[in-house]
Amino acid sequence: MENRTYNITFGGTGGQGVLKASEVCGWAAMFAGYHVKKSEVHGMAQRGGSVESHLRFGRKVYSPLVAAGAADFLVCFHHEEHPRLKAFLRKGGVDLTVHLDKAVEAVENPRYLNTCLIGVLSARLPIKEEHWMKALEVVFKGKGIEQNRKVFLDGREIGQS
Amino acid sequence: MAKIDISKKALLSGNEALAYGAWEAGLGVACAYPGTPSTEILEALAKFPDIDAQWSVNEKVAFEVALGAAVAGKRSLFACKHVGLNVAMDPLMTASYTGVLAGFVIVVCDDPGMHSSQNEQDTRWVALYSKMPMLEPASPAEAKEYVKEAFRISERYDTPVLLRMTTRISHTKEDVVLKDRQVPDAPSFERNIAKYVMVPGNAYRRHILVEKRLGKLKSLAERTRLNRMEPGNRKLGFITSSVSYQYLKETYPDASYLKLGMSYPFCDDKIRAFAKSVRKVFVMEELDPFLEEHIKTLGIKITAKDPTYRIGELTPELIPDVVAGRPKKEKKSAKRKPRLCPGCPHWGSFAALKKMDAYVAGDIGCYTLACLPPTSALHSCLCMGAGVTFHEGWRKGAPDKPIVGVVGDSTFVHSGVTGLINAAYNKVKGVIMILDNSTTAMTGGQQHPATGLTIRNEPTKKLVLEDLCRACGADNVDVVDPMNVQEFRAILEKRMSEDALSVIISRHPCRLLKR
Repeated sequence: MENRTYNITFGGTGGQGVLKASEVCGWAAMFAGYHVKKSEVHGMAQRGGSVESHLRFGRKVYSPLVAAGAADFLVCFHHEEHPRLKAFLRKGGVDLTVHLDKAVEAVENPRYLNTCLIGVLSARLPIKEEHWMKALEVVFKGKGIEQNRKVFLDGREIGQS
Repeated sequence: MAKIDISKKALLSGNEALAYGAWEAGLGVACAYPGTPSTEILEALAKFPDIDAQWSVNEKVAFEVALGAAVAGKRSLFACKHVGLNVAMDPLMTASYTGVLAGFVIVVCDDPGMHSSQNEQDTRWVALYSKMPMLEPASPAEAKEYVKEAFRISERYDTPVLLRMTTRISHTKEDVVLKDRQVPDAPSFERNIAKYVMVPGNAYRRHILVEKRLGKLKSLAERTRLNRMEPGNRKLGFITSSVSYQYLKETYPDASYLKLGMSYPFCDDKIRAFAKSVRKVFVMEELDPFLEEHIKTLGIKITAKDPTYRIGELTPELIPDVVAGRPKKEKKSAKRKPRLCPGCPHWGSFAALKKMDAYVAGDIGCYTLACLPPTSALHSCLCMGAGVTFHEGWRKGAPDKPIVGVVGDSTFVHSGVTGLINAAYNKVKGVIMILDNSTTAMTGGQQHPATGLTIRNEPTKKLVLEDLCRACGADNVDVVDPMNVQEFRAILEKRMSEDALSVIISRHPCRLLKR
């Protein structure tokens, strides 16, 4: 296990599956043996407000929030949210928003955008594919699991490009 | 919540972890009224078939049912948000005197930063005010352990125990280890008039015991591992609790720490010893200067946050500024604001109210969002039930204005109904609109008496709102669909022109309801 903490910020708007995405990533990191903390604000998210989720994993994690200017990765679901969210990225952090349009194109149903973006992210993280698959199964409770697996792998390919 | 039978580890939110910990501790009865950020505690508990879990009508009812179960011998839990605890303050203050038989835990979730609340009161003062112990976990894993400790303290010291969460702890997820359930032997319920009948003479004698108990709890605070010294660099030491501890550990990993997991009663000796062990002491806490003010009374020289940080939530990037003594810079949030959903039935109701140019006394729920421009058709939001009672007060204060009170279906059952009885009894005329979307929508769609389903979605006796309103003394009760714009406007106009007390039930299910 690497001796560093990974900081990831996810963001979008209510109903886009932002929280599910960070949830899958959190379970995958847990299955990979990391200490995980994930924080979100969903007070009024259902009413179309901004949604933001922070995921941190490593040997030992204290803060559940990624500090502004400290994210290693930014996974943004909505271009309008990007100007606000990019403040989370650290210098040299990876902005996965460059893959957003490709991901939107790749999914037939916007409901699977979150799974596709997790795939994109997965290409950059030290978590084995089997742990991602197990996490997808737990979080989506087996629903549309074949489709989710396929979309995830499509995203993973985009992330590797 | 994700299924967790796949392994003995799970990624759980603070609320879910707390629920698991309570279940493992043999919890028997759990009661709550929904309220962000506390709602998921009861939702998680209701998934355990061996726990008697309920949505109660309001927090006062929930508190009393749960306390009653504890007094009769079963470990019980009441959960609420900070403002919900205000509703339960009446039984809470005297529960401190009666104490318990089996353990009773009061879980309260504060909302620093007001992610979804009308104020950001700091509930730690309630511990001081009610003379009951308070535990404060700093992570989901701690929430799971602390709730067990809370039950032990409750039984050992014959007191309800306050367990304070915050939005950040409740809604953070962490990997936690799951264990088996252990139900302690139920103590036998006996009549005990001196302990449970709080007439003045008995209460006086109980008050003596409460003060003695506080002394014993203070000794516990000195001993307990929940108040933990972490010696580090002696130049700088932090006295801290809750999530502030986590933020500090990221920024100052080498400093010394006194981490308070039991925030009341105060562990004065430990605080003194810690202060002596370091050159500079900084007290870091969210919201009010609860620790700061007390530690200053001990004559210990400390530094604490600038008063501007008493407002709002602390975040990790603020920590260096706070420690450096710089005041807070207010920044305008670029976050997208919530609004009523497209197709929400409330749009119809508020379009009609706007057309009537009404002064609208509002309440707590999704419909509070109708205050936002361009609708701007809701003109007050104070607390649960005040849509009905503000309507009455406004009519008395400004009799020449067109005034309407609005309240949601769940909110009406929670505490609007008493206001309606009051209006009828005191000969008030006017129009109360119940915005009935057949769910507790704002918190994510929980059942309540007028939906006819329990927390486990089992059919139960259904409260018929129109019958209830008639029984309260309303002269007219109309049930109208706000999506039928013409009919709805016509009824509102008619009722507003009459000299009568009218209730209009604006009924159309929330579009987010699972069908």
